[in-house]
Amino acid sequence: MIFRSEASRGYTLSAPATAYVGFLVAAPLVILIAYSFWTQTYVTLDKTPTLKNYSEAFADPLVRHLMLRSIWIAGAVTVVTVALAYPIAYFIAMKVRKKTIWLLLITIPFWSSYLLRVFAWKLILGFNGVMNSALLMLGLIDEPLDFLLYNEFAVVLTLAHAWAPFAILPIYVSLQKIDPSLLEAATDLGNSPLQRFMRVTLPLTIPGIIAACLIIFIPTVGDYVTPALVGGSDGKMIANLIQVQFGAANNWPLGATLSLIAMLSVGFVAIVFVITATRLGRRIR
Amino acid sequence: MTDRNIIELRGVEKRYGTFLAASGINLDLKEGEFFSLLGPSGCGKTTVLRMIAGFQEPTEGTVLIDGQDMEGVPANNRPTNMVFQSYAIFPHLNVGNNVAYGLRGKAPKAEIEQRVAEALEMVELGGLQDRGASELSGGQRQRVALARALIMRPKVLLLDEPLSALDKKLREQMQFEMRNLQQSLGITFVMVTHDQYEAMTMSDRIGVMFNGRLKQVDTPTTLYARPCDQQVASFIGEMNILPAQLLGETDNMLSIDAAAFGRIEIERNPNVATSSKDMNIGIRPEQLEIAAEKPEDYPSTVQGTVSNVAFYGENIHYHIQVEGAEKPISVSVPNYFHTVDFKRGDAVWLGLQGASVIDLGTDTK
Ligand SMILES: Nc1ncnc2c1ncn2[C@@H]1O[C@H](COP(=O)(O)OP(=O)(O)OP(=O)(O)O)[C@@H](O)[C@H]1O
Ligand SMILES: [Mg+2]
Repeated sequence: MIFRSEASRGYTLSAPATAYVGFLVAAPLVILIAYSFWTQTYVTLDKTPTLKNYSEAFADPLVRHLMLRSIWIAGAVTVVTVALAYPIAYFIAMKVRKKTIWLLLITIPFWSSYLLRVFAWKLILGFNGVMNSALLMLGLIDEPLDFLLYNEFAVVLTLAHAWAPFAILPIYVSLQKIDPSLLEAATDLGNSPLQRFMRVTLPLTIPGIIAACLIIFIPTVGDYVTPALVGGSDGKMIANLIQVQFGAANNWPLGATLSLIAMLSVGFVAIVFVITATRLGRRIR
Repeated sequence: MTDRNIIELRGVEKRYGTFLAASGINLDLKEGEFFSLLGPSGCGKTTVLRMIAGFQEPTEGTVLIDGQDMEGVPANNRPTNMVFQSYAIFPHLNVGNNVAYGLRGKAPKAEIEQRVAEALEMVELGGLQDRGASELSGGQRQRVALARALIMRPKVLLLDEPLSALDKKLREQMQFEMRNLQQSLGITFVMVTHDQYEAMTMSDRIGVMFNGRLKQVDTPTTLYARPCDQQVASFIGEMNILPAQLLGETDNMLSIDAAAFGRIEIERNPNVATSSKDMNIGIRPEQLEIAAEKPEDYPSTVQGTVSNVAFYGENIHYHIQVEGAEKPISVSVPNYFHTVDFKRGDAVWLGLQGASVIDLGTDTK
């Protein structure tokens, strides 16, 4: 009896939040799916269900190209960010005493708006930017480098900087949870510090790494502000194309279709990644 | 046990800042010996063990293992292995891989598998290779930790309170099993414990520590019968400590006046010094005779009143208030069928023999 009433109390308590979130996720998704089967005829919407948008999207090499590039850029951002975040998280979790202060310092970038940070990178990487001026002044280069801005590199750099705290925190938490005597046991059983890291620390932080990767990868695939501002023409991503469909091109059904394709691709890549990473982790002994 | 020293500590000291966690530690451990470090919480036992393992470097002195100076040799290169107090079972590995951990990459796969099977057999966990680390009971975790260390065939096995996480029954069973294992393998065991019974039942020798110092190193029987001072005397087993006056002495015997118990001849304790007439004696509770009538054949008898009774099952403890003694005297009697049965307030006689009295010398502090 008590159990039943506890359970029902739980449902009751979470009902408002569940309804709210469910509505906000489900309703747009339903609308999006509906739109993807409709067609745009100049100013009116033709609501006869059709797969035309899908065949068009799959046939268009630009869509495939942008989708693959988005996944590639997001993947690169994820790898770079996690690779940079891990040592920082490790340092805070294992080496310092005043952890709270360090964690606070890490959140400092959030104290300014994301747009401002993107513009800051534009100022740093631009043709007459901080980086080029500095290199010129030091006499390391004779004329400004033009490959710093408006390309994939700039997108990856900007996003990696923006996402770093999101990667540091889950990895920090998983490192923090490791019982120090496990590390001593590994040493005691003959491991060098590197072996110990590979065989104990790394496998025990895989959940943190997976969380960090997903937190970064999923939103990054759909990012359109960063590529629009620092990506130039070869830094454009799928979200920029989707934005055009909902804006200038005024083709909402095609935009909806592209969005759904992007979502499914991201979901697929994420699932494959989680399964592979977990499997690989289990093989470490 | 052989006569060869496997571990030698020479004037070892460990400082944390200004705090001396261990100082002046000199200790020789024999090959194949079961040695226990015993002492109250915070006295520096773990510190000494970790200096042998290589997790901590001494601030002074040297640690030699098998004749080799261990200075600068990291823990992973020392011929010792450790069973941690928390067992430190790797949570991401199953039992088999936990036990095989230290051998991976150092022996062929087939050999590792065979040795893992043997090691698990040895700790009576045969066939549990595939069990997950989280699916083990406390006792099983302890055995896995033991197998994981022993599979490395260390010269010395270090154990930090290996049984403190187990319940009493299991602890007693493991005490016997570990002692048997140690004797059949012939490996030196160094165990840290704050449980005197554990130390006494398992060890060849015990080192008693207080405040970072090694007070006495002896066999359990010697420690019990000839403690080096009051502190050790009251830490190992229960002890009635009474003041006494030295009346006369020969090479082996002391003639004393033991307050309420009167004049007795006792054996000299070579582990203590008697520097003045004032001295202390110790009497183990089980060495006193208690009777309703004045006991015959005892050179010293005294009358008292029962002030407290505690029933322990295998024996009964009485507190006897004696005229002229500050604290009540503890007496423990084996619980034979119907022999003694006193109540609070009963008048009783205590009988004492000189051979049962421990000379604790003059307290130098
Ligand atoms: N890393 C450290 N820094 C400072 N002081 C320490 C450190 N490690 C231990 N100590 C101190 O050294 C003393 C001895 O510690 P140790 O762990 O050796 O005690 P112990 O005899 O094993 O006690 P217990 O039975 O409670 O485990 C303690 O007072 C402890 O506070
Ligand atoms: Mg300890």
